[in-house]
Amino acid sequence: MRFRRAVAAAVLGSLAGAALGCAPPQANSGDQGQRSDQTTGELRVWLFQEASNEPKEAVVEEAVAEFEAAHEGVTVNVEYLPVDGRASRFNGAFNDPESAPDVAEFGNTDLAGYTASNGFADLTDDLERWPDGADLVPEVLDTARVDGRTYGVPWFTGTRALYYRTDVFTELGLKPPTTLAELTETARAIRAARSDLYGISVGGKYLFALLPFIWAHGGDIAERNGETWSATIDSPAARTGFARYTELIAPDICPPQQCAQLTGSQSVAAFAGGKAAMTIGGDFNRAAVTEGAVGDRFAVVPLPGTAPGEIAPAFAGGNLLGVFASTDRRTLAWEFVRLLGGKEYQRALYDAMGTMPTFTDVQDAVAGADPFLRPFIETVQAGTRFVPATPAWTRIDAQAVLPTAVQQVATGSQDVDTATSAAAAEMDAAFAG
Amino acid sequence: MALPPVTPAAPADRTRSARQGPHRDDGRAALLYLAPAAVVLLALMAYPIYQLVVISLHDYGQAQASGAAPLVFLGLENYRTLLGDPQFWDVLAATVVFAAVCVVATMLVGTALAVLASRAGPVPRTLLFLAALGAWATPTMAGSYVWLFLFDQDFGLVNEVLSSLGLPLSGHSWTFERLSAFGLVAAEIVWCSFPFVMVTVYAGITAIPREVVEAAALDGASAVRTATSVVLPILRPLLAIATIQSIIWDFKVFTQIYVMTGGGGVAGQNLVLNVFAYQKAFAGEQYGLGAAIGVVMTVLLLAVTGLYVRAQRWRP
Amino acid sequence: MAAVRRRAADVACLAVALVVAFPLYWMVLSALRPAGEIQAADPRPWTLAPTVDSFRRVLTAQDFGRYFLNSLLVAVVVVALSLVASFLAAVALTRLRFRGRTVLLVMLLVAQMVPVEALTIPLFFLVRFYGDVVPAVGLNQLGSLVVVHLAFSLPFAIWMLRGFTAAVPAELEEAAALDGASRFRFTWQVLFPLVAPGLVAASVVSFVHAWNDFLFAKTFLISGTETRTLPLGLLVFFKPEEQDWGAIMAGATLMTIPVLVFFVAVQRHLVSGLGGSVKG
Repeated sequence: MRFRRAVAAAVLGSLAGAALGCAPPQANSGDQGQRSDQTTGELRVWLFQEASNEPKEAVVEEAVAEFEAAHEGVTVNVEYLPVDGRASRFNGAFNDPESAPDVAEFGNTDLAGYTASNGFADLTDDLERWPDGADLVPEVLDTARVDGRTYGVPWFTGTRALYYRTDVFTELGLKPPTTLAELTETARAIRAARSDLYGISVGGKYLFALLPFIWAHGGDIAERNGETWSATIDSPAARTGFARYTELIAPDICPPQQCAQLTGSQSVAAFAGGKAAMTIGGDFNRAAVTEGAVGDRFAVVPLPGTAPGEIAPAFAGGNLLGVFASTDRRTLAWEFVRLLGGKEYQRALYDAMGTMPTFTDVQDAVAGADPFLRPFIETVQAGTRFVPATPAWTRIDAQAVLPTAVQQVATGSQDVDTATSAAAAEMDAAFAG
Repeated sequence: MALPPVTPAAPADRTRSARQGPHRDDGRAALLYLAPAAVVLLALMAYPIYQLVVISLHDYGQAQASGAAPLVFLGLENYRTLLGDPQFWDVLAATVVFAAVCVVATMLVGTALAVLASRAGPVPRTLLFLAALGAWATPTMAGSYVWLFLFDQDFGLVNEVLSSLGLPLSGHSWTFERLSAFGLVAAEIVWCSFPFVMVTVYAGITAIPREVVEAAALDGASAVRTATSVVLPILRPLLAIATIQSIIWDFKVFTQIYVMTGGGGVAGQNLVLNVFAYQKAFAGEQYGLGAAIGVVMTVLLLAVTGLYVRAQRWRP
Repeated sequence: MAAVRRRAADVACLAVALVVAFPLYWMVLSALRPAGEIQAADPRPWTLAPTVDSFRRVLTAQDFGRYFLNSLLVAVVVVALSLVASFLAAVALTRLRFRGRTVLLVMLLVAQMVPVEALTIPLFFLVRFYGDVVPAVGLNQLGSLVVVHLAFSLPFAIWMLRGFTAAVPAELEEAAALDGASRFRFTWQVLFPLVAPGLVAASVVSFVHAWNDFLFAKTFLISGTETRTLPLGLLVFFKPEEQDWGAIMAGATLMTIPVLVFFVAVQRHLVSGLGGSVKG
């Protein structure tokens, strides 16, 4: 009995304490207006750590040297963070401005959430005063905007297109598909002829392969009505695209046992390992594929739309460079962003890592020099789309709402209508806050 | 007292006699002895646990934490959301069954191997202990990846060996089916947690005076009877502690499920409560809801442990 | 008959030992294999061309030595502090009578039940607050990890040591008192050595917890690389997506070895330690 009484006392005690109304902890972010704007000292920069980081470091070091030479009394301290643990680092920096850097690289899908935490400084006016800013690809710049304000400079962008095995296509006498319907047929034909290959490797967790299918059929996952968002993944158009995608994860194309759990990089890895005749991959996957078993026996075309000659709208992925709202060196930070994110160093970054630049003129220049990039630039210039720019997206993404729906359909546990309705309900719950 | 006594019936008597002995200022001395642990626990456990309850009563996300959005007091709204979510009940049921299987399997394997070790010669026994300590010492993350690698569909040893024996398992995914995935994770959990039980029980067995067992045998008791009516009662307090610890650890399992099933399995089929809390709340920065899940989990664990402790007491 | 049974037990023991040790062996072996053998899913349990390539990739990409020392420092300090504090608390809880003992014991159990993930946000702000008073335990400091791991290792350590301190006969204490020893002297000079095996067992568990953690490390160590701990540094390599199993296994091996060394060093005490509570 004493056990129970002790428990009761403990529970009552904590409930009583809670009822007394001590509020949960909050960082004090009311003092941002009075931040100083120092012109010397240490400028701290966070960048993402790449799988092979040396080429990136070399470019950044060059930019840092140029910046330090131009600004006396300024040192730039760059720290590379693993992409995986980024959420706790950025949230930590928002909650404790003392630990925050001045400049940071971040993914454009994270932007809406970061802005809701007042994490990044509004750069709209700075961008307007920057002559080069006008050359940024408008749709890519849109991914740096929330509610009409711009919070970052697009540093590079990543677009996906259709990779296919030239040797397999020649052997079977196939041509690259010109519509999404044809894509399914081609993939099925390949697996029928070559049972050792997936017709196309796509996965249950490959959101950025799913989205173009929905967009190409005229649907979207959500739409904005003024201040609020509502899910449209259960609309007829979106369902058609969704079904087009999920029918690829089937025993006669990409068996669910192997493909239901694949992420984007795993799908590409399967292609690179010679296990698939096609995949949807990014310009940034080039090295992974050429270094794999496939070597140079592949080619890339834009992912087709619903009619011949159309290109399915691609997701405009990419990373931004932003200035932390809590910085004590606002001017210096912006100048550094302008340098590292500017035309010269975007080009240098392309030369070092093959990342796609975000300025129209720089894009054209590299496309002329590098035929590999053409299908991707064609895709970008045909128009790209983006995920809902709301903090709720972070939650929808974390809860794996759309991958779960794809997996439910691919494993046959639900039909398209039920799975998309459930996904829409979960998305609406997230939008409602 | 109702908690499992570690030394059968002894401590209460002994401390009582100590009380009648030379030292009479127990209250003040206790305070002094407890002070270091109490300071740390009050400063770093009690307050956060209290805050956890407070947070669970608010709409509290990343924007609120960084001070960018105002706090809204929700009362029990987070709990209502959680308990009204049918997925929560599915996950809860899966967690209870999964944890129960892990606890029972861990206890059985650990106890059986302890008995085996007590019968074996010193060299095989030492080797078994070294292997078990190795499994125990393996960091959770490392262990999860090693098992995942062994069962990998393309590069895993298990598929390679089984298919060379003629089984159609080339390219078989062990994490695709729900039960198969749970089974794989359970095997890894038993692998890394049975050593604690084995070492504890083994030490308990060796501590039983030889004369006690021999006396029972002389009285004509069978081996089974000796085991159940002489050895088991002596070991019971130890088994109780090991079981309680296993319940607490296995109910809260996170890393193994997260790593081995890729965050909860195909369409969330392998979610357990802790991973569910992470995916549903923490990764999406809904800390209020996450705190509510934490409170509910603690209360559930407390109830389970309480039931277990009472069941122990009722036995003759 | 007895000899046959003994032989059977020996064989069974060895067989189980092999099975249990196998995943670890495979981990080390895969870390030493050339990439080609891993890609080919070579099932042979040996390699003819061992290479340290995978290790080199892990070791040179990182400031490994520093992360290693950081982790070691945190784990050792946690173990030392937790031993003293949990021993004293266990003595109070078993050998002294005072009101509220049961409540305290239940609280210690509750403290182990709360999901750790749920506590990171409150702890973050708490550590930030303490850092303003004592900078050494603030954010971005190894001290923050020490105090938090200390708090999380104490409940289990106290629970465990309780069994050992209770097992020491009261007569011993009375005899010591008659000899004129103070309670303090008795505690340190008689009790402490007597429960040494229990201390070893408790310290193993504390060490493992502190060593394995990366949840707190990634929450509290926001900026700066000089305080990064080993799991945080190795996180970069745990990417099953890229199928670089050689590097993953090398990282896992590097993470496991120090704990293994610690375990083997204390293993003899451990066996008498964990079950020692029934002696007496």
